[in-house]
Amino acid sequence: MLQNDEFARAAEKHMDTIYRVAYSWLKNPDDANDVTQDVLIQLYKTNKEFSSDSHLKNWLIRVTVNQCKMVFRSPWSKMEDIDAYAETLGFEREDYRELFEAVMGLEKKYRVPLILYYYEGYSTSEIASILKLPENTISTRLFRARAKLKNTLGEAST
Amino acid sequence: MTDRQKFQNTFSHLHAAPDTLTEVLNMTAENNVRHFHRTRRTITAIVAACLILSLGLTAYAVDLGGIQRTLQIWIHGEQTNVTVEFDPAGTYEMQYTDADGNPHERGGGGVAINPDGTERPLTEAELLEEISAPEVTYREDGSVWVYYMDQKVDITDRFEDGVCYVQLSGPDTVLYMTVKYQDGYALSPNKYVSPDEFN
Repeated sequence: MLQNDEFARAAEKHMDTIYRVAYSWLKNPDDANDVTQDVLIQLYKTNKEFSSDSHLKNWLIRVTVNQCKMVFRSPWSKMEDIDAYAETLGFEREDYRELFEAVMGLEKKYRVPLILYYYEGYSTSEIASILKLPENTISTRLFRARAKLKNTLGEAST
Repeated sequence: MTDRQKFQNTFSHLHAAPDTLTEVLNMTAENNVRHFHRTRRTITAIVAACLILSLGLTAYAVDLGGIQRTLQIWIHGEQTNVTVEFDPAGTYEMQYTDADGNPHERGGGGVAINPDGTERPLTEAELLEEISAPEVTYREDGSVWVYYMDQKVDITDRFEDGVCYVQLSGPDTVLYMTVKYQDGYALSPNKYVSPDEFN
């Protein structure tokens, strides 16, 4: 188990990463914050030894994904208003906002690999390992996601 | 600007709520993580998952007057009486005492989408149905179980290509459940939902 000061440093460093992955998965800021708390609590409670910071980060993302999967899938799931949430994010450029909304308009199977690849800088093989999917599947999803984004953002600019 | 830079400039705007870390550090400082009280979630979600680990729900439901009810449900392997108070806004608060005598409070709720796209609060019946929905539990020993009402089904060996089909007896009808391994499930009173149609 991490010492309290080690835990506090790790939590502060990685909480936004956890949140981004959770939000990308759930498209609900409240749920994403709850998942962030749950994951940090799991970090606090785990006896797992981490060989490096990247090992820790990989583990946190893996736990985040699992936690998101555990979120109950209700037939009455709240329809999130991405526009309203985007308003709160204070994008300084319109194309950032358009990209955010275009990504969040994609299916979940595309959103999370995109975030891990483009934001977190993971390779397709690392994403495959984290999401426990074949690397070819990740490559295909990234390819299709890029095509969909290009199509959406192309339409938005015309 | 590269795609990666643009992604980073865009998604760097997403941050966890400022109180997230504060709450966690407070809990760890008080060594109180076992009694984590969820306050934020607006949809039921994990609340139901936590409560219905071993489920034999709605053995009885007694009106205490108004919109408060007492239910007997399975919580962490213990049959437990919980008091649920429903709010007309589509939320509920639940209180119960665990086997060690520790009080717990949980809450949840949500909205339904009308055919015209507008939202309405969940009704009490819908919230009850949500609380009593089937739960899939992945145990540390690798086994996978479905809990629903008085049914407890080991589905560990039923997966083929990561998908399992389970037939459950509902209150009024048969329920058809499609489970994707570690990736959620879909439920229908009419037929098994194709794995391609969800998640």
